[in-house]
Formats: sequence, C-alpha cells, structure tokens
Amino acid sequence: MTRGRGRGHGRHRDTGGEGGGGGRGFLGPRVPVEVEAMARGVQDVGKEVFRRLLKVTVNALEGKDCKESVKLIAESANLSEEQLAFLISGMYTLLQEALRLPLSTFKQEVFKEDLKELRIPEDFIVDFSSVVFGNRRPTSEGSALIQKSRLPSIQDFKWRVDVAISTSSLARALQPSILMMMKLSDGTAHRFEVPVAKFQELRYNVALILKEMNDLEKRSVLKIQD
Amino acid sequence: MSELTIFVLQAESTFSEEEEEKLQIAFSLEKQDLHLVLEAISFILEQAVYHNLKPASLQQQLQNIHLDEDKAEAFASAWAAAGQDTIEKFRQRVLTPQKLETIGWQLNLQMAESMQAKLKSPQAVLELGVSNEDSKNLKKVFVEFSHQELFDFYNKLETIQAQLDSLT
Repeated sequence: MTRGRGRGHGRHRDTGGEGGGGGRGFLGPRVPVEVEAMARGVQDVGKEVFRRLLKVTVNALEGKDCKESVKLIAESANLSEEQLAFLISGMYTLLQEALRLPLSTFKQEVFKEDLKELRIPEDFIVDFSSVVFGNRRPTSEGSALIQKSRLPSIQDFKWRVDVAISTSSLARALQPSILMMMKLSDGTAHRFEVPVAKFQELRYNVALILKEMNDLEKRSVLKIQD
Repeated sequence: MSELTIFVLQAESTFSEEEEEKLQIAFSLEKQDLHLVLEAISFILEQAVYHNLKPASLQQQLQNIHLDEDKAEAFASAWAAAGQDTIEKFRQRVLTPQKLETIGWQLNLQMAESMQAKLKSPQAVLELGVSNEDSKNLKKVFVEFSHQELFDFYNKLETIQAQLDSLT
C-alpha cells in the first residue's frame, strides 16, 4: 500500500527499529487488529462517551477493577457489546504500547503523527496524548505495567549469630555460626545455616557484584543510543 | 592397630558390609571381634575429640587403663596426624537440616521486557545451593536483586560481619 509520503524513510525516528521501512511508528510494522478496529469505530463515538471509555481504560491499566463502569457505559451509550469490546481493547493496547516507551526518547509529536495516520479524530488524539505525556499518566504502582516476569526477590531477611559453647561431640566448641531466614517475593521461605567460611564467600561475592554493577553503569555500554 | 585407627578417623560414616569383610580378612578377625575392635577405637577417639586431648595426653590416659604401650603409641601417632582435622570437622557440624553449600551468581543487563522498552537496568541473580540433610540433593534458590536491593543486602551482611568481629 503506497502512502503519499514521497521520501519513504525520510522522517528520522527516535523510536529506532519500530519505524523502519515506512512502517507505522510506535506500534510497529503491523498495527494490532484491535487498534485498527478501534480507530475506525471511534469515529462514530461522541466525545463524552470517548472520554468515559478512556477513563475506564486508564483504570484498567492501573490494575483497578472496572466491571461496573463498563456496564454503565454499555447501558447509557448506544453501543453493542462487540463495539465496546474492540473500542476498549484497542485503546488499551494503544496506550500500553505507548507507555512502554521511555519518555526520554519517545516524543509527543511522533505519537500524535502516528495517531493521525490511523485516522483518529484530532480531539481524541489530544486526549490520548495527555494520558501518555501529561499528568494523567498512569502510575506504575499496582498497575498492569509492572514487570511480572521477575525471579523472586528478597522480601524479608532475618538472621542470627550463635556461638555453640558445647555440643554432644565437643565439650568446648566455641564455634560461631550464622542462621539466615529469607522470605522471597514468591512466598517461599528458606531457613538455613551458613558456616562462617561460606559467609565470607557470600560477602565477598556480593561486594564483587556491586563493584561490577558500578563499573557497568559507568561504562560506555550504557551509552547505547536509543 | 594404627592403620585401623587411621581408617576409623578417616571414615565419614560407618563401614559398609563389604568394607567390614575386607577388614576381617585383612586383620584375620572374626566378625564379632572386628566389631568390638572398631567400637573400642571409635569410643576412644570420640572421647579424645570431646575433651580435645593432646596426643601425649591421650597416650598417657590409655596407658593408665593398662593398654599395651605399643597400642597406646599407635593411637597417639594416629591422633597426632589426623586429630586436629577431626576436631575441626566436628566443630563445623551443624544441627540444622539445611546448610548453605554453594554460591553462584550472574550479573545481567536487562535491555527490555514486555512492559517496558529500553531499560538498561543491571540485575544480579544469586544462586544459593542449600543442602538438606534428608534428601542429599542441593536445593537451588534463585534470588534476583536490583542495584539498590543488592546494596541493602550487602549492608545487612556487613552488620553480621560486625557481630562476628565483636566475638573475637
């Protein structure tokens, strides 16, 4: 499909690979089906209804429950279930993809241009824009935007240092030992003893990783151009 | 005698059936007698560990209970050779079922994820191998840390170290 832009790759894209080859911008070379459907369907939606739909979508992104609000919109506006489905899912996907990109490199003009190409009405573009770039940007706490695919991290760490004075094998042991109890974010708890020598090894390794992290953060690897 | 003593000292656990048979043949002892000898040696050595005896002291004590001089000497020399290590091994024995055995780690630079593009955030993954007395397998515990989380963890380790230092 040819578009009227004479210069093909002309526009310099801050969003890197996502815009190459005359593609669609921040949504990638193939616009998701629901976004296209939404872009078409939203033409016939009034401003009032659109704003309510947008609000519901933002709440969903923040992880809040929106069943009630959706029901209200379905009843009051003249929308079928199907229309409602692709409108909301299209808006959700659009915003989710836009919110993935860091603000330092993703510029408002580029976003607006991309939405214009989807034939979304100007008013609505302004509203979308204010969600992504303005102060209506969804907070990441408790939202669908937090990384879910992490390995467990430490939620609670307790320890104690004991000195064994006497045991069944040794009248005078005087051996220090360390007991650690870790509760991880996936709910598991681990309690284990750490021999003093192993503890030194652990401490050494953690210090080493910290040093490497510091070096990494300073190195030019991090100056990879976005 | 001293060879047998060293055997017992070095054995991590009791002898298996096969090993006992081999010992029976090597020392031409009946099964009953072999057991008696092994138990006697074990007992003497356990006491030596418990009281942290010096080799000379051990020899003296054995002679006091009228053990043959050459046998007492055999004990003393075996003890002099392997005594300290044995005591240290007992010192390190822990009563808790789970013990930290291995530590491994990986430092990653996360570039992106499904929810966020262009991250460049360093992540460390610590792999702790915890042994369980019952199962004999090493349970691998994976823990992920961001820079800040690792720093907090390190500070806690430093606190533990300070406590250890205050003991000496």
